[in-house]
Amino acid sequence: MADDMGQVPEVQAPATASGSKYAWPAERRVLGTEVRRVDGPAKARGAAKYTYDINRPGLLHGLILRSPHAHARVRSIDLSAAAAAPGVRATLVIAEPGAKVMYQGDEVAALAATSEDTARDALRAIKVDYEVLPHLATVEQAMRPEAPVVFEGGNTRTSDVQEEGDLEAGFAAATHVVEGLYSTQVQTHVCLETHGCVCEWDGDRLTAWVSTQAVHGTREGFAQSLGIPQSNVRVICEYMGGGFGSKFGPDAQGLACARLAKAANAPVKLMLDRKDEHLAGGNRPSAYARIRAGAAADGALTAFDAQTWGTGGAGQGAGFPLPYIYVFPNRRVVHTDVYTNAGPQRAMRAPGHPQGCFITEVLMDEIADRVRMDPVAFRLKNLPAEAPNAMWRRYFEMAAAQFGWSRRHATGDVTPGPIKRGFGCAANRWGGGGRGTRAQCEILPDGSVVMRSGTQDLGVGTKTLMAIITAETLGLPVDAVRVELGDSNYPFSGGSGGSTTAPSVSPAIRVTASKALEALAARIAPGLGVAPESIVARDGRVRSTASPSTSLTWREACQRLGTEPVSVDGEWEAGLSASGTSGVQMAEVEVDIETGITRVTRVLCVQDCGLIVNRMAAESQCLGGIIGGIGFALFEHRLLDPNTAQMVNPNMEWYLVPGLSDIPDIQVTLVDQPGRGVIGIGEPPAISTAAAVANAVANAIGARVRSLPITPDRVLAALRTDRAGGTE
Amino acid sequence: MASHEPPRPGARPPDAEPLPEGESRLDFSRRNFLKTVGVGPLAASVVAARTADAQAVANPVGPAAVPIELTINGHRHALSVEPRVTLLDAIRDRLDLTGQKRVCDRGACGACTMLVDGRTIYACSMLAIEAQGADIRTVEGLTNGTVLHPVQEAFCEHDGLMCGFCTPGFVMATVALLEANPTPTADEARRALDGNICRCGTYKGVLEAALTAKGVRRG
Repeated sequence: MADDMGQVPEVQAPATASGSKYAWPAERRVLGTEVRRVDGPAKARGAAKYTYDINRPGLLHGLILRSPHAHARVRSIDLSAAAAAPGVRATLVIAEPGAKVMYQGDEVAALAATSEDTARDALRAIKVDYEVLPHLATVEQAMRPEAPVVFEGGNTRTSDVQEEGDLEAGFAAATHVVEGLYSTQVQTHVCLETHGCVCEWDGDRLTAWVSTQAVHGTREGFAQSLGIPQSNVRVICEYMGGGFGSKFGPDAQGLACARLAKAANAPVKLMLDRKDEHLAGGNRPSAYARIRAGAAADGALTAFDAQTWGTGGAGQGAGFPLPYIYVFPNRRVVHTDVYTNAGPQRAMRAPGHPQGCFITEVLMDEIADRVRMDPVAFRLKNLPAEAPNAMWRRYFEMAAAQFGWSRRHATGDVTPGPIKRGFGCAANRWGGGGRGTRAQCEILPDGSVVMRSGTQDLGVGTKTLMAIITAETLGLPVDAVRVELGDSNYPFSGGSGGSTTAPSVSPAIRVTASKALEALAARIAPGLGVAPESIVARDGRVRSTASPSTSLTWREACQRLGTEPVSVDGEWEAGLSASGTSGVQMAEVEVDIETGITRVTRVLCVQDCGLIVNRMAAESQCLGGIIGGIGFALFEHRLLDPNTAQMVNPNMEWYLVPGLSDIPDIQVTLVDQPGRGVIGIGEPPAISTAAAVANAVANAIGARVRSLPITPDRVLAALRTDRAGGTE
Repeated sequence: MASHEPPRPGARPPDAEPLPEGESRLDFSRRNFLKTVGVGPLAASVVAARTADAQAVANPVGPAAVPIELTINGHRHALSVEPRVTLLDAIRDRLDLTGQKRVCDRGACGACTMLVDGRTIYACSMLAIEAQGADIRTVEGLTNGTVLHPVQEAFCEHDGLMCGFCTPGFVMATVALLEANPTPTADEARRALDGNICRCGTYKGVLEAALTAKGVRRG
């Protein structure tokens, strides 16, 4: 993601792509169709080698000793017994005597041994004497005036007041004023492949297989931290088992792995285990907002006054955009970051946005109820002006028609029986955009084509995207293109976060493939007696527009290269991609008011995609975002024991993520806007599901759950507090 | 596993027949037991393991490495492992068959799903020494050359995979389902595959793959 505070930069790039010499073709053959993943068979066969799967000759296994305490000072640390244990080849102190550990799972020491089990045995032989210090497990504890000062400079940091308009006048103009406290929980990424790497030295040169969203950024991180030239580091990540924003550098475990490998003079694999992943692999910060908001009798929003806070763990911020999307002409927000003794946050799919969206959209429904307006009509009244990247008006109307929104009942399902049904809606926005990717294309004399770039495929389909664009540009089938990525020895590309990959990689591939075709034409045109500019490649053939009789198969054309291939470098250019996207989601739920259990039965998503590269992958991105949003809405919750600040559920049986039986009927409508160029859509579909579900729950039961996740106990508590059975 | 049910100790299909007498170790290993009841993975398991061993195994083996033989995808492999090594780690680390993944390492996510004597098991929760003499199948055994197994083909066709890390586990669970029941209903497929977790959110494609894969015969 673009920045680590969870604050998303507003859209800066143009919302519409134009002006490139290599403009996307008006008539698209492969682009925008459903193309199977080029690496699907390798993954389905189990042949794809992820970092976790790298086995090298003489491989050692590394493990990290982590602090069991939420806050402590290391008085002394003794690795001598561990170093002498059978099979141990290298040890490393991470927290020197005097150093503090700030959360359960903070790194203390590391070692490498001949097998993982022997490494685990040896880890237990490390003796650490801790001076246990006072800790802060919750935001409530940290915000108490009498709380011990655990963080230098204070346990909280309040930002400047953000204020626009005239708040007093706004409330004076309000007929209805709604007040409430809203909150979202800490969510962890739960990448199925944990963080980790395999490091192997050859003299002073390091090769690192890393599960990372940034092969070049990770190369830079290793070089800087180890004090070696970047040219001595090679980072490889051909396949990775998910990142969701949490994997951008070597991290502590990568540096420990590299140092252990150097000390042991052998390759070392160091992968986090599932518990460590929950504790130290990053998380989405919590969010709290105490809001007072007003609307005029006709439903026009007039005022918004919010105090917000949240924790990103030890020393990390927890910002989020608020209010989200809708126009409150007079508004004030004061935000406080609260530091607690928990693992630090990292960017997580649409950092900040699901929090800001949930809080705003639930508030919007509460105001709509007070004004007695339909939630969609109320939103239409308060949306910002329409623009190519701000099409909510149209999308709300499309979604309402497809979803059957007119069948929505007023808040509170009055149907007899314990099962209550309801509808909810919410909108999303995202910036995205991208730049800076380079690529290399080779056309070989036997007709084979290689496209290379130092980007990486998190599982979203980047490899397939590169093959599609190359194939489209060269007039070839997708399987005629070999794509190579995930290696810092390939041409530079930035990290994959913030939905920037598709809009930074796609133009680079289009430009590079076009230049390769131009180079091919320049080489073979003289022999054909035609002008190079007249040569076009289409349907597996190379033709001259000037001479209808000149028509070669692709292979015949390439054979004319003799022995010297075409090899061309290219890079991202403006005019082929854009930033800014908008979308709308609607959800239907069933809530059992006797048990409090919520089931999502239906989700509909209308998402602006700009120019769709691979319809199948784009739809899967939306499905994945929605399913992640269902987890955020109903299940996922990093639970810390308030007494010890130890995580209660650092596993996958009590940290719940959705399974197959939790998946509703999901309909995705991708809005193809080819004129806008390529836009990334990794984040936006993940933003609004939880808010739509929360509003659907309120519509079903006639009571509001203002905290995520919407667990059965919270549903039952809301039913006890609010009047059940309808407000109309 | 987000349903509000306690985790199941083994990942057997719901319609699986009860195991014959004396084979209960397959389903309820000591490691599995310790993990299910939530004993901490470090010190506690060492102390507890010895006791459990003495009770469960008539002739204790180890703790040093012992020679064992595993039959995987029809091939016999001789290897030397400590008795505490799981089937998953033995196959991944010692034999370099890395198709089945390690994700939760405690029987909750299904990424390591293998077929042992035709039944799905979580290979992270079974010891390698327990699997001797059994017919072990992994995802690598499905493919004949480069021609995909119908289930693998269906996963690609319906985009039932994204990052792909859960995919081999889902593929094996689907194969087990379809070998037992070639024409499952959607509910049957959901139940059979509910022991597997995907974080990218490919469930729609997974379900479509399970319902449309054709030509899967009992193995």
